[in-house]
Amino acid sequence: MDKKKMWTKGIKRDILLLVFLFLTGAVIFIAVIFGSVRGNFVKVNVDGRLIAIYPLSENKTVEINGAGGTNTLVIENGESYIRDADCPDRLCVSQGKISRRGQSVICLPHKVVVEITDENGNASVSAESDADIVVR
Amino acid sequence: MKKKICLILALLIGIGAMSACSDGGKKGGSDGTAASDGAESDSSKQSNTRELFAMDTYMTITAYGEKYEQALDEAEKEIKRLDDVFSVGKSGSEVSKLNKERSGEVSEDMASVLETAIWLYENTKGAYDFTLYGLMDLWGFTGDAQAVPKDEDIKKVLESCGFGKSIYLYGRLTLRKGQGIDFGGIVKGYASSRVMDIFKKYGIKSGVVSLGGNVQCLGHKEDGSRWRCGIINPDDPDNTSDLMGVVSVSDKAVITSGGYERYFTEKGKKYHHIMNPQTGYPAQSGLKSVTIVSDNGTLADGLSTACYVMGFDNSVEFWKKNKSQFQMILIDDDNKMYVTDGLKGFFSSDKKYTYIQG
Repeated sequence: MDKKKMWTKGIKRDILLLVFLFLTGAVIFIAVIFGSVRGNFVKVNVDGRLIAIYPLSENKTVEINGAGGTNTLVIENGESYIRDADCPDRLCVSQGKISRRGQSVICLPHKVVVEITDENGNASVSAESDADIVVR
Repeated sequence: MKKKICLILALLIGIGAMSACSDGGKKGGSDGTAASDGAESDSSKQSNTRELFAMDTYMTITAYGEKYEQALDEAEKEIKRLDDVFSVGKSGSEVSKLNKERSGEVSEDMASVLETAIWLYENTKGAYDFTLYGLMDLWGFTGDAQAVPKDEDIKKVLESCGFGKSIYLYGRLTLRKGQGIDFGGIVKGYASSRVMDIFKKYGIKSGVVSLGGNVQCLGHKEDGSRWRCGIINPDDPDNTSDLMGVVSVSDKAVITSGGYERYFTEKGKKYHHIMNPQTGYPAQSGLKSVTIVSDNGTLADGLSTACYVMGFDNSVEFWKKNKSQFQMILIDDDNKMYVTDGLKGFFSSDKKYTYIQG
């Protein structure tokens, strides 16, 4: 009798553990899925080559080795901008902060393109404006 | 015994859930390693879009079709070659040589561009003029340092400007003393047309280029629908989520000119890069932006500049005479938007706009 009681208690604990583990897993899984779908990323290209993709949600400062100089990229509170650059016109610094998908900061002298994209590096603006390409 | 089985089961499920999570994490590129992984897999996959820097701007070229890689390679080469022909900044370019020597036989490329450029000059009464290099240089728009010149200097430079003062005969262009040519307002349209020719050569059925925001497309998108080209808001050119509207096209160039593209500020006043050849000052015609939709990229590029200089009335008059060749979208200084009626069924916008009847 005593033995049987202990045994059922053990089973209950195991089931509890199972449920706990399953729920934890499910919660983390959903969080990651939702996070990657909804979150925007910062894509960095130099002279047409993909250098890196960073999540816009993580604060970060990166030195980008552009063509013939460096640009300091800052990701801060869900926005990204170029804080400093040794290019001649420094237009990239004055282009300000970007945070919406499809927005970009371009440094022509260093051939650096910083773009807000989805997790796959797609900058398609279609999510918000329904256009394939922007004419300016 | 059963307890052990339960524990193992629990562990397995736990591991399963965790590995699913780490997969998701990697996809998101949540750390440095994941980011570089992404870079490697992307370059091995060979994207259908090529990005490059040429003609002082940022360009993307996209092609779908069996031979897309060759098409992209040749398109990139062609754009760089044209940059070497038409650049005003490169001393070895054909344009630079002509500006220095003032007379010479023109190449096939330049003859093609000149054909459209001269037609535009003559039919817009000089609103489009490719002989304004001296004026652009005086304002500093050929380099990085811009400043408002003295009025007398502008008057002096204007004396040598104007294609009417040069001679183009039997493939030879001769410029007046002090005169310089600059095809900056037309050459990107020519380049995008050339890319379309290359696409066709390689059997590409679907493709699109953006040469610094000058767009030209071939065929339809892969899914069979038209290319949706969003027109930037001249008041908020960095914001791609507040567009003026969308034109849905196939086999068309869509090119916009506006004072927001390049400008400098002096004493609180903005000076943009589209010059009025009559006054020698930035054009103030009452238009904020002009978008041209045409089969012909070269024409679309030059015409967007010309209409921006001509203003609303003259542009509409010009369109009525030549509407088989192009359609347009005009935005005036009061933010009123006008669309020519040839775009009916192809234009959509959540903003107010009026159709111009032909």
